[in-house]
Amino acid sequence: MMQALAMIFTPQLLEATIRLSTPVTLASIGAMVCERTGVTNIAMEGIMLMGAFFAAAVGYATGSPWLGLLGGIAGGMAFSLLFAWAAVTLHINHVVAGAIMNILAFGFTRYFMNVFYHIQGTSPALPVTLHNYKYAVPLLGSLPVIGPAFFNQTPIVYMSLVAVIAWAWILARTRLGLSVLAAGEHPMAYETLGRSVPRIRYFGVLMSGLLCGIAGSFLSIENSNSFTEGMTDGRGFIALAANIAGGWRPLGCFLSSFFFGFVDALQLRVQSSGLLRIPSEIFLVFPYVATIAAVAGLVRGSRPPAAVGKDFTIEGEGD
Amino acid sequence: MKKPVLQAGLLTAALLMALPGVVLYLASYFWGAWLLLGALCMLTAERLLTRGPAEVGVQARALLAKAAMPVEGICLALLIGAAIMAVTGHDPISSYGALFYGGLVKNWDVSVLNATPLIFTALAVAVAFHGGLFNIGAEGQYYVGVIVATWLGLMLRLPPILSLPLIFLAGALAGALANVIPAWLKVRTGAHEVVTTMMFAYAVATLSPIFIRAHGGDPSMTDHPGATDTILQQSQLPVFKSVLPLANYRLHFGILIAIVLALLVRFLLSRTNLGFKIRATGFNPTAARMQGISVAGITMASLLISGAIAALSGVTQVVGLDHRMYQNLSAGYGWNGISVALLARNNPVAIIFASLLWGTLDAGGQYMARTVQTPNAIIEIIKGVILFLMLAEYLWTWLSARLRRQRVAA
Repeated sequence: MMQALAMIFTPQLLEATIRLSTPVTLASIGAMVCERTGVTNIAMEGIMLMGAFFAAAVGYATGSPWLGLLGGIAGGMAFSLLFAWAAVTLHINHVVAGAIMNILAFGFTRYFMNVFYHIQGTSPALPVTLHNYKYAVPLLGSLPVIGPAFFNQTPIVYMSLVAVIAWAWILARTRLGLSVLAAGEHPMAYETLGRSVPRIRYFGVLMSGLLCGIAGSFLSIENSNSFTEGMTDGRGFIALAANIAGGWRPLGCFLSSFFFGFVDALQLRVQSSGLLRIPSEIFLVFPYVATIAAVAGLVRGSRPPAAVGKDFTIEGEGD
Repeated sequence: MKKPVLQAGLLTAALLMALPGVVLYLASYFWGAWLLLGALCMLTAERLLTRGPAEVGVQARALLAKAAMPVEGICLALLIGAAIMAVTGHDPISSYGALFYGGLVKNWDVSVLNATPLIFTALAVAVAFHGGLFNIGAEGQYYVGVIVATWLGLMLRLPPILSLPLIFLAGALAGALANVIPAWLKVRTGAHEVVTTMMFAYAVATLSPIFIRAHGGDPSMTDHPGATDTILQQSQLPVFKSVLPLANYRLHFGILIAIVLALLVRFLLSRTNLGFKIRATGFNPTAARMQGISVAGITMASLLISGAIAALSGVTQVVGLDHRMYQNLSAGYGWNGISVALLARNNPVAIIFASLLWGTLDAGGQYMARTVQTPNAIIEIIKGVILFLMLAEYLWTWLSARLRRQRVAA
């Protein structure tokens, strides 16, 4: 038994946890910013899918994964702009607009797969991916256990860590952070100060588009080398849950995403070790059950932004 | 002749013409449309007789105004679809020709088969919407229905008259049970039902291969990789062909069950106490609470009803069409149900027509891809754009508000 545990809990487990939590971390920070400005964003699944597709498409066309990353970011942001227009400018119910965006994303990616490559399922493989740009931070990278997990990783993993720290700082210390918080807590007060609630909400949605675009790029051009239809597998929704479980705080988002990454990594390990003779599907279901448990158990301790999901019009006096 | 007698006569005649008309038309006997037209004339005559021409005119205009927005949205979406096709090098005219010929005439039976499960899932989403909830995980409850129906269909050795109702009942119950945890969490902790029902859907879909393997599925076999055994004969829904010899052999009576259920949901929402409470809670929970309505109870009730209806979708699909459970059945009925409910503005009767439109687009899209090689993923885009434009009333309010502001500023 001890031997079995030693087989599962290796230093590589931490490294795998970080890798698997990266897309969820990025997207949950996006969800956090977006909801802090007052927009409920369930379109992240679709935005991430668009990001993954355009990253693979641009990366394949140009041969450069870095241009692919830019393509993924552009795709994610352009698509989130459409969502922002629907939710903020047109005042469509956020959840309804988000659901439509997800449907659109599935359709667009399938159609363009067909138009670009005349195939269904998986796009042609990139020759070089961001995985080839693994970078070990000098000194820190050679630390035991923590070194390989945090300081010997691929580019987007670093970006996710930077995003967490940057947003923790922005929310706590800057004028921009204050604007984000104000728009989500009391939009009318914010508008009364002569600032524009729609503008900051557009910013929030676009930020989630940027981060989900990077998250999608991670899936298609860093963790693998091609785009697969529906490859996001509910990560957009898991990120939404991670944000809720993390109490709408950057560090909380990171920790709950870390938890989901851990469950996922554990699942893969226990499954491949063949220690328990039960169907592999039981393990695959772990992250979903963990999400429900996290949302149910942790949501009580925190409070969502007061105006999240509520439409804002000056005529409607802010609600 | 006395007025009431004539009125009753006209109504009976309308009903007697409409029922066979619907059945015939759905079974690709297109002359059934004449019966429907006749029924419509009878109904109009009855209205004219009882209400007078002025009121009938007003009602007709109101109906037209209601239908105008969806029709405009659909036309505009088709134009945008044509533009995308033209830009990406496909001929829009021949594509649309194939689309509508395939969907409405040649493969109309496929359209009806596509629409059947959608009516159920869309009704499920609509009931929850009326209660102010978003049952985004209808797909998961669909899976639950499929599993229960397949299991009972393989086990039950009863005459069809007992077996089928039992399967439907058990499926509905299981679907409601699947939503107990999300509903309870929503009421107790406020956990958002979008996250919990969605995660349930992923969980059920992930676990379903275990069930398939236990009931005859063998991934190593080449002829049926990942499908259960066929359910017993007595648990299968009768088909149209047993009554109408020219109907497609796959077309089953599920569509009629779906239509009846839509009418029942309409009755539930607009005519019963529970329906009123559901709508009141959805419209304004605070006001509902002030009126002494138990918001928690109604939230539970509407999510449970929603789950039951969504599961019936899966049940119908198994006992009617598939007769077994497939591993990769993810036909997205849950997702498409959301679209249909939005398109129909959660109106149960409109859901029937919206589902048929969706089914037609799917069936026609496949025909189009086969005949003129336009990728049928364009259908997904057109659907998305239709939904986007359906919300065009917001666009209109936005534009008019803008104009008003400009006038004030000037």
